[in-house]
Amino acid sequence: MELIFWWMPLVWLAVVAAVAGGVVLLRRRLRRSREDAPPIPVAHADRLTRLPGYRAALGRFAGLLAATAALVGIAFAGAVGLTMRPASVDVVHPDLNNRDIVLCLDVSGSMIEYDRELIEVFGTLAEQFTGERIGLVVFNASAVTYFPLTTDYDYVIEQLARLDGEFESEDSSYYAGTLIGNGSSLIGDGLASCVLRFDNLDSERSRSVILATDNLLAGDPIFELEDAADLAAERDVRVYGLNPGDTSAKDYLDELAIEFENAVTATGGAYYPLDDPAAVPAIVERISAEQAALLEGPTQLVYDDQPAVPFLVALGGFAGLLLLARRLQR
Amino acid sequence: MAGLLRRVKTRLSITAHRKVRGLLDGEYVSVFHGRSMDFDDLRPYVPGDELKDIDWKATARHGHPLTKRYIAARKHTLALLVDTGRNMAALAASGEVKRDIGIEVAGALAYIASRHGDQVCLIAGDATHTEFRTPGSTEAHLERLLQLVHSSTSLASGPSDLTKQLAFTASRLTRRMILLIVADDRELGDRERDLLARLSVQHEILWITIGDADLMREEWSSRSMHDVGTEYSLPAFVRGDRALREEFASSVALSAARSEDFLEALSISSERVVSTADVLPGLFRLLERHKRARR
Repeated sequence: MELIFWWMPLVWLAVVAAVAGGVVLLRRRLRRSREDAPPIPVAHADRLTRLPGYRAALGRFAGLLAATAALVGIAFAGAVGLTMRPASVDVVHPDLNNRDIVLCLDVSGSMIEYDRELIEVFGTLAEQFTGERIGLVVFNASAVTYFPLTTDYDYVIEQLARLDGEFESEDSSYYAGTLIGNGSSLIGDGLASCVLRFDNLDSERSRSVILATDNLLAGDPIFELEDAADLAAERDVRVYGLNPGDTSAKDYLDELAIEFENAVTATGGAYYPLDDPAAVPAIVERISAEQAALLEGPTQLVYDDQPAVPFLVALGGFAGLLLLARRLQR
Repeated sequence: MAGLLRRVKTRLSITAHRKVRGLLDGEYVSVFHGRSMDFDDLRPYVPGDELKDIDWKATARHGHPLTKRYIAARKHTLALLVDTGRNMAALAASGEVKRDIGIEVAGALAYIASRHGDQVCLIAGDATHTEFRTPGSTEAHLERLLQLVHSSTSLASGPSDLTKQLAFTASRLTRRMILLIVADDRELGDRERDLLARLSVQHEILWITIGDADLMREEWSSRSMHDVGTEYSLPAFVRGDRALREEFASSVALSAARSEDFLEALSISSERVVSTADVLPGLFRLLERHKRARR
């Protein structure tokens, strides 16, 4: 608990002194100018003062005066307390919660098992997110937006579950729309498509793409991977690469892996070679944490006004005064 | 300062009051002069004259009532005993200053007395000093007496203490006199009662009480009010209290009745006057009462 305007009592003191001084001056001037109601001289006031009723009335008067003074004091204290603005102070590290993550899945046959793991992780992440937007793009020869960037996590989870089911089913409907193009597994085109999925480009948000692919190109893409990475860098999009192909068991893919790594690091992202689908959750967590650390805003002191107590005190004082005024009128 | 006596005479001779003046004349004469054996002359009857004094034969001859006038056996001296302490500078029940009402009462009786050849003297003062003015009967003398009362009664005067004037009268005035005491709604102390008992044996005492202001008067409850004796300021809040107003009224009535009973026991005639308009009727009531008490 802290007082924002702790110096207010001094101001009040000055105000009260000024008002009291003004009233005294005004009264003095009025008394000098007003001749119409001079005090009444009377004799034998003891005719009245010796009555027991007079003493009782005087006692009542004193009591009312004391009560009025006390209530004015209470109301005044409440008012002073209110103007001092008592507030609770909190240190807040605001989570900016303005991340956009596009999950960019290569759905060529070799990737399915890793894709399913990624989808599962995304599902659990979606349950923890507040305010971040995620989207899903699957690509092979052409890219298909499975769902756009959204904060509707129920929808996200539902869609992820559907995709998971499609991976499992026989008819391979996840291929729908991904085979239009010159070849298959056009990674550069896929990445470029993912980069273009971000909207609100003029608002300041963190944009990242998690690209899962083995970089095994089979065809003639419009964008080479490097071009797509340049496009991402130009648009301030980080690309995180997950490469299940980069293992000792698949030496023949080394060159592709190095190309992939160079491309993603050029965007400011990171590259993760994968042996085991089980490693996917940890990596996604890392990406998510890395982003969170990047985006933590400056520490802020948040003053939260707590006027309830002084307000109630002032209210009580005024209510008492009103009741007293009613009592006096009767 | 306009002549105070002239103001008194004006009040006595206002057309509406002419009857009253005649009444007062008749009352005064029948009360204080009575009848001697020496017939003087006849004069027209005025209400208030003793019916016994009407000369019925002369009346029958003349067509309207005639009263016999006797040569007064002796001259009287009317002593005005007036409180000029600061209590008398306070307000009366009517809102007028009590001093002014007192001057009118004393002036009216003094004027009537002087017109009947009686002399008027004055004992006036407060707790600090007592003034005495020797008897005289000229109008100038009366005017001087009234002026003295007027000028010495103010809020700056000493506190009122009628005991001093009563003691002065008891010790200094040895001749039998008619004593008109002008006081206010004071509670009579033991010493005052003793002095009055002592004086009532020697003198004929008329007592005029100038009714004090009603402290609980509603139209004054918003104005400040202070006691001239003690400088004590009566808080306005208390003066608005309805229950207290009733208590005060009954207490004042009780106290007035008590004073009157006491004075009556000493065969002192007393009357309470609350305004200048009430002066002549009050004086008349007083003389009437005194006449009855003496029989």
